[in-house]
Amino acid sequence: MTQTPGAVAPPPPDDPLRAAAFREGLRDMAPAVPGVFAWGLVTGVAMVQSGLTLWQALGLSAFAYAGSAQLAALPLLVGGSPVWVIFLTALMVNLRFVIYAAALRKPLGHLPWQRRLWLGYVTGDITFVIFMRRQQQVPDWPQRDSYFLGLAMANWAAWHAASIAGILLAARIPLEWGLGLAGTLALVALLIPFCLRRAAAAGVAVAAVVALATHGWPLRTGLLAAIACGVTAALFAERFQGRRIGEGAA
Amino acid sequence: MSELWTWLAIAGVTLSTFVTRAGLLLLGERVRLPAIVDQALAYAPACALAAIVVPDLAIAGGEVRLDPGNFRLVGALAAAAVYVATRSFVATIAAGMAVFTALRLLA
Repeated sequence: MTQTPGAVAPPPPDDPLRAAAFREGLRDMAPAVPGVFAWGLVTGVAMVQSGLTLWQALGLSAFAYAGSAQLAALPLLVGGSPVWVIFLTALMVNLRFVIYAAALRKPLGHLPWQRRLWLGYVTGDITFVIFMRRQQQVPDWPQRDSYFLGLAMANWAAWHAASIAGILLAARIPLEWGLGLAGTLALVALLIPFCLRRAAAAGVAVAAVVALATHGWPLRTGLLAAIACGVTAALFAERFQGRRIGEGAA
Repeated sequence: MSELWTWLAIAGVTLSTFVTRAGLLLLGERVRLPAIVDQALAYAPACALAAIVVPDLAIAGGEVRLDPGNFRLVGALAAAAVYVATRSFVATIAAGMAVFTALRLLA
């Protein structure tokens, strides 16, 4: 919100400090790379095994760059849902990134819009978490956007390498092995941590029941109804609870 | 699924990536989110995942199947248990696929 008085223009890109910050980002991301790789591999295999062609799978992965949204879109893509339902579903699954973007406005908001667009696009879950930890330790470090880019590019490279490997591998795996299930299992692993908070768990339960009950609705619009009911239930649960579980925990 | 339609859907998923990740970053701090929107944002991803995952696992052949004969569901429950116990992404998927595959081969 506050404009830092005497804020300096970002140093030129060939600044050795920026290169060092970029490398530090790459290094700090390294421990997360095996997990990112597994996730990309599963997504790649699941896309092809669900029925996307090689080029469609490569295109979806290359452009969307969003594992959970890609996997969530798969049953809809295969089931022939309308494009707007697929878009809204991907948007809902991606909404956590709006929270990240809101938090990143402060440390990255001073950059030119093209750089903000690019850094926003390559934001991943782990990238965000590691960056915010560093931002708390060293607030407003001048090379912070290079550090962010280092984190994001390590994530990006691992993701695409794994995703392409998964897509190429999938063609050699028989369909009856049911490897598409691995993609759904990945979403299960993503879903469980949310359920540890009581209000979110209530929302998840309501969304699940409504999704089953409305499965026969045309164009899979029941999915959107399920999300709306779930979010409403979670907000009510939070009100009734009076306070958030987990607040005060480190 | 037609070729053009599939690419339009792919463009839609890509657009959702840009809108959610870069949208607020581009708009800057002029935009303030009302508290209720902020709270809803926190719950929407979990609800969306549940609304996708549960029918994908529990519906087989067009009907709800909550019995042990639904191997995908049993595999997913095993995977969930492993995730709660280990917090390992790789172990979760390996366990779920192992249970599903064992049931499929034994059946």
